Amino acid sequence: MSAVDLDDHLPAIAAGDPDAFERWVAGAEHPLRASLRSFATRVDVEAVVQEGLLRAWNVAPRIVRDGAPNALLRVTLRIVRNLAIDEARRARSVAIGDDDLDASLSFATFAAMPDPLLREAIHRCSERLPPRPRSALDARIASQGAEHDRTLASRLGMELNTFLQNFTRARKLLADCLRGRGIDLGELA
Amino acid sequence: MTSREREALIEAVTTAHRTIDPFTRMVSGHPAFHDLDDEGRRIAYERTLVTRTLERALDPRGLSTTGRAVVGRLRRSAP
Repeated sequence: MSAVDLDDHLPAIAAGDPDAFERWVAGAEHPLRASLRSFATRVDVEAVVQEGLLRAWNVAPRIVRDGAPNALLRVTLRIVRNLAIDEARRARSVAIGDDDLDASLSFATFAAMPDPLLREAIHRCSERLPPRPRSALDARIASQGAEHDRTLASRLGMELNTFLQNFTRARKLLADCLRGRGIDLGELA
Repeated sequence: MTSREREALIEAVTTAHRTIDPFTRMVSGHPAFHDLDDEGRRIAYERTLVTRTLERALDPRGLSTTGRAVVGRLRRSAP
């Protein structure tokens, strides 16, 4: 992982360039998701991250850079945190303090980009997956989050539960393979 | 709930597929998330972190399925 300033993409994003936003998302998603760990039992973090990313696109033209890196990421960290608080309060009326705001914003000090060596290792390990786990993994990636697992399972001729079991197996086999190469996915995440 | 049913719910939550609430126009939580206990939700979160790391590495442009879902939604809604 390396530190980068994702605001390099900000002028193009503000001008409405979706390709620039795509590059920003590639670096911003992980810190956003990681910042919401303390909400994991209270809100569906995936939904909050997606909503936050959509709002980042909308607020980008109004961002004024302050000299520090990752202004758009810092704003989006606040957005997802506020979304998570609202959702948690709506679901359970749990009081949430401000004590973890600084911890959340600390994620803006870095933006994670995939290490080329890690990418290579994951590619090598994915090529060694058995056919059915591989097909489940590939199906979700190819669907780009646009289709329900039931649709993907049906296309592969699997029951939904079988599809989910194969996806679980794919991730476990990848993790085992990477561990054999000295890479701990849990630490990376 | 059996352990197999719980396991299926956890894995179901790890997908990036989410719908838009027709009333709020916001991204909705996955139905399976609400059927899980706290520990199941924590496991789903950790698995999703790992899964998105794998997806970013396997994608030519470094996007996970979350990123693809969001950018795809924006592109489809562009005038």
